[in-house]
Order: sequence, then structure tokens, then C-alpha cells
Amino acid sequence: MTARPAARPTPPAVGYWIGFTVVGILLVAAPLVLPPFWQRFATEILVWGLLAMSSDILIGYTGMVSFGHSAFFGLGMYGAAAALLTVTPPSLWLAVLYGLVAAGGAAVFVAYFATRLRDIYFAISTLVFSQIFYVIIFTWTEVTGGENGLTFSQPRLAIPGLWSDRFTPATFHWFVLGMVVVSYLLVRRITQSPFGMVLQSIRENEPRTRAIGYHVERYKIVAVMLSGLFAGLAGVLYAIQNKFAAPDFVFFVVSGEVVIFNVMGGMGTLVGPFAGAAFFLLLREGLSRFFTEYYLIPVGIIFTLMVMFVPQGLLGFLRRRLNP
Amino acid sequence: MATHTRRRSERPGEPGALLDPLQGVPTLTAPLSILKTEGLTVRFGGLAALNNVSLTVPAGEIRGIIGPNGAGKSTFFNCLTGVLRPTSGRIIFNGEDIAGLPPHTISRKAIARSYQITNILPGATVLENVRIASQSRHHNWSMLRHHRAYADVIDSARAVLADVGLAGKEEELAANLSHGEQRNLEIGIALATEPKLLCLDEPTAGMSVAETHATVDLIRRIARDLTILIVEHDMEVVMGLARTITVLNYGEVLADGTPAEIQANPRVQEVYLKT
Repeated sequence: MTARPAARPTPPAVGYWIGFTVVGILLVAAPLVLPPFWQRFATEILVWGLLAMSSDILIGYTGMVSFGHSAFFGLGMYGAAAALLTVTPPSLWLAVLYGLVAAGGAAVFVAYFATRLRDIYFAISTLVFSQIFYVIIFTWTEVTGGENGLTFSQPRLAIPGLWSDRFTPATFHWFVLGMVVVSYLLVRRITQSPFGMVLQSIRENEPRTRAIGYHVERYKIVAVMLSGLFAGLAGVLYAIQNKFAAPDFVFFVVSGEVVIFNVMGGMGTLVGPFAGAAFFLLLREGLSRFFTEYYLIPVGIIFTLMVMFVPQGLLGFLRRRLNP
Repeated sequence: MATHTRRRSERPGEPGALLDPLQGVPTLTAPLSILKTEGLTVRFGGLAALNNVSLTVPAGEIRGIIGPNGAGKSTFFNCLTGVLRPTSGRIIFNGEDIAGLPPHTISRKAIARSYQITNILPGATVLENVRIASQSRHHNWSMLRHHRAYADVIDSARAVLADVGLAGKEEELAANLSHGEQRNLEIGIALATEPKLLCLDEPTAGMSVAETHATVDLIRRIARDLTILIVEHDMEVVMGLARTITVLNYGEVLADGTPAEIQANPRVQEVYLKT
């Protein structure tokens, strides 16, 4: 047991940026080369990946498992719907703003209570809160459309006051890609910042972090809020892509999928959740063609095998390199 | 070493802290007390883990706290650092009652501790363990710059690592250090929060003879700038370091005095012979 890893795994920033650029170019080119179905699929992977990445701030960096991300995602959807249905002409940026405010507000509310609890109790309380949001949205038919949800027309892609145009699938893909890249770089920077290092210290040893002078609860509340904001952004993008907001997306099953994306892709890497989302969605797509509605059985078996044999996830082996 | 001296001299009142830790307060002939507990009591149900403990620690002193297992030494530290809320009594630190304040607030009042059971961030590097503690006093809410952009925090962390003899191990994972090195890292983390009072809970526990010697030297060195409370089972260590020793037994102060007085005290001998 004397194996000490090489003292310094010299983070080769060059390799990282080459990889970043290659993946970026592939994603930019996707709508130009893929048939319409797969083009739409690629956009969806980005949206679900963004949601999973938002959850990674908590799971991977702060050591808190949230089962409440469906609520933040769903409130992003309904926030966007509110902006698009009440304000004329419908504005893309107002939809983003409304969605972020709704999701961020809900996240602070949930965090205020849930961060008093730790570990599994935190996870359960986020689940309970998200189900409360689900029940409210499901039953408050006059406002939320209840079971049927809300439908609306897609806003135009616009630079306010300068230019606007209808979304095509390709421009929508690039719009989502732009949002995702900006979000990723922002979250990456936050996780490397002094604030982000405090979150990782909480993950490593919460009582010790408290003892050296950090008000741990405050950091957790801000972490949940940030996470909720990016989850809300994913909800806004999904709502605009599909032109609806539906209660199904507030249901806790979505939160479970988000955790699975993280575990499959690699927690604490930020890019892992995207890989996990892509892998899971491709698996579901492929398997449902053979197994129809029973596709979850093989998916479950594959997931179990991965947890046993690749516990750190698809990109977990890159974890130290991705967190210089 | 340059940063090391700078950091020291930035602390207020050194080296005159022995006489005057509270700037602006008239110096008395006797050293001012930095810590004073009055009737400190902690009850767990019917059991009094601490019973009416009153003691006064002058600034700049190394105070040893000894006693058999279960005497309340760790409970005493837990009260001082906010982990436990005392049932009754006051803890006056620097003229302010800090009893019942939460740990992070007490840390900001400049009380730090090391733990009996090593309590570090095992998955982080040695430097990061100390850097995060230094950072708790500077820029801790900054979100948009890389943490390595704050050279002041890193410099003071490196200076602390040099102090505790871990220079050159900065990039090792803390989990990979030897036991003795981890114990010193533990002291380094506490020092990095720039404390005025440092509580050491069995700093030499489980150390080899050589490591113990090095740690005793280390404690002597850092004691020039600090008041230190030290709980220790190794009598040689505590008798050599402490100017005054307080003996706890069943949660009560049994005796108080210089090492020589304590060794000669028949009640203390009785307690230690019995157990």
C-alpha cells in the first residue's frame, strides 16, 4: 500500500482545450451533416446534459445529492411559458429571464429548508419539495393548464432592437449550443474559484470546513441556487424547443434520470453529465426499437453493470485533469 | 522565509503579545487573560461531562490540560470551539462571551483547534488543505476568478506549510502523508486561520519518538505568537511544554499549577495511580 500517485499530474491545459475545440466543432457541424431526426436528438442531448451538469454542481462538487432538479427544470419551462403567453410579442430573452427567476427562486426556497439536513435527508427533502411543486402545477388548472400543460408558439431568435428571425432547427441547435458552452465555461470557472473550492471542501469534510470559519449552510444555499438557475435554463430551452410546458417534466422521475446521467457520465467532471445524458438517451433510443416499452429492463441492467464495473462513470478517469 | 516573517509581523501585538494582547488596553503588571471560563457546565442528561469549570489562561501561555479518559478534556475543547453548547457558564475570550456561538463564528474570533482524530481533507492536496483555511479570511465568496489567481492566499499557505515542516509536500494528496505528517498538517490548517488561541487535542498521538520531538519543537516555535491549550496524554511532552497545567477529573478542575506542583500533588497522583 505504498503506491503514491505521481506527485503532480501536471494538468496539460493544451490537451484540454484541443479536446474542447474538437467537440465544439463537431457540435457546431452536427445540424449540417445529420438528418433531421438526429439533429433534433443532438439538441436534446445538449439540453439534458445542461440539466445534468447543473446537478453536478451539487452531486460532484458539494457532495449533496438532489432529487429536486425536476422542479427547477419544470419551473424553468413554466417560467418561459408565462413569459411567452402573457407578453406580446413573445420575447426569447424574456422567456429566459422568467424561467431563471422562477427556477432560481424555487431553488432558494427549497435550499433554505433542505440545507439544514444532510446526506439522504437532504436528498429526500428535495424530492418532497419537488413533488409539492408537481402537485401544485398538476392541480392548479386555471393557471398551469393542469394535466395538459401549456402550449405556445416559438419566439423569434432576436438581438433586441437589431435583428430577429424565425428559429430553424439548425439555428435553434446553435442557440442551445451557445447557451450550453457559456454555461459550461461559467460553471467550470465557478468550481475553480475560491467559492468553488469551499464547496469541494464541504464535500471532503463538512465539520472541518465549518471549523475553519465557513458558514457552511450559506454556501450550500448559494450552490443550490446556482444549480437551480442552470437547471431552469435547461427547462427554458426544452420548453422553447417543444413549444410546451407539461407537468410530466416536474415529476421526480426526471430528477432520477438526472442523477443517473451524472453517475453514468462521471460526477465532479461537468462534462461527464453530458456524456452520461448522451449515452443514456442513445441507449434508450436504440433499445426501445427492439424492446419497445420494455426498454427500461436492459437499460437498468446496463446501468447496474456500469455502477459495478465503471463506478466513476464514463469520463470519471479524467476527473483530476478536468479539475486543475 | 521572507513571507513567513512578513506574515508574523502583520499580526498585531507581536512579540509584545505576552504582555498586551488587547491593543489599547492599559497594560497591567500581571499578564492579561485571553481566555477565562466561569462555571462552565455541560450536562448530557444526568451526566455532567463538565462541572463548574473555571479557569483563566493568560495571553501567550502554553497551558496543559490533562486528566484520565472521560475527564472532560475533549468536551472542554468542543465548548470552546462551538461544537457543543454549554449547559451553563460563560466563556470569555478577548473580553467577549463566546459560549454557544457556532463554530464558524468562533473560528472568526481567532480560536482554532486541531483534532484528536486526524481531521483533514483527505482527497485534496496538502497545499489545498492549508490554502482553503487561509482563504477563509480572504476572498472566500469570489466566484469568477481562478483560486490560484489569489497569490496572497497561496503565499500565506506556503509559509504555514514551511512552519509545520511540510514544505516540498505541497502537491501530495493529504491522504498519502504519513501519520505524523498528517498530524502536523492538522496543526497547519489551524494555524492558517490566523488564530490567537490554538487548542491542540493530543497533537503527538500515535507519533514515533522522533516525530514527537519534532512536533514539540514545532509547538514551541509557534507558541511565540500564540496562546496554546494542549490536551496530551504523553506526560513528558506536556510537562516539557506547559508553563501551567490544569488537571480535570470527572469534569471538574482537580488541580492547577506548574508542572512541578502538579507532579507533587497527592490528589493528582491518586487519580493517575487509580486509573
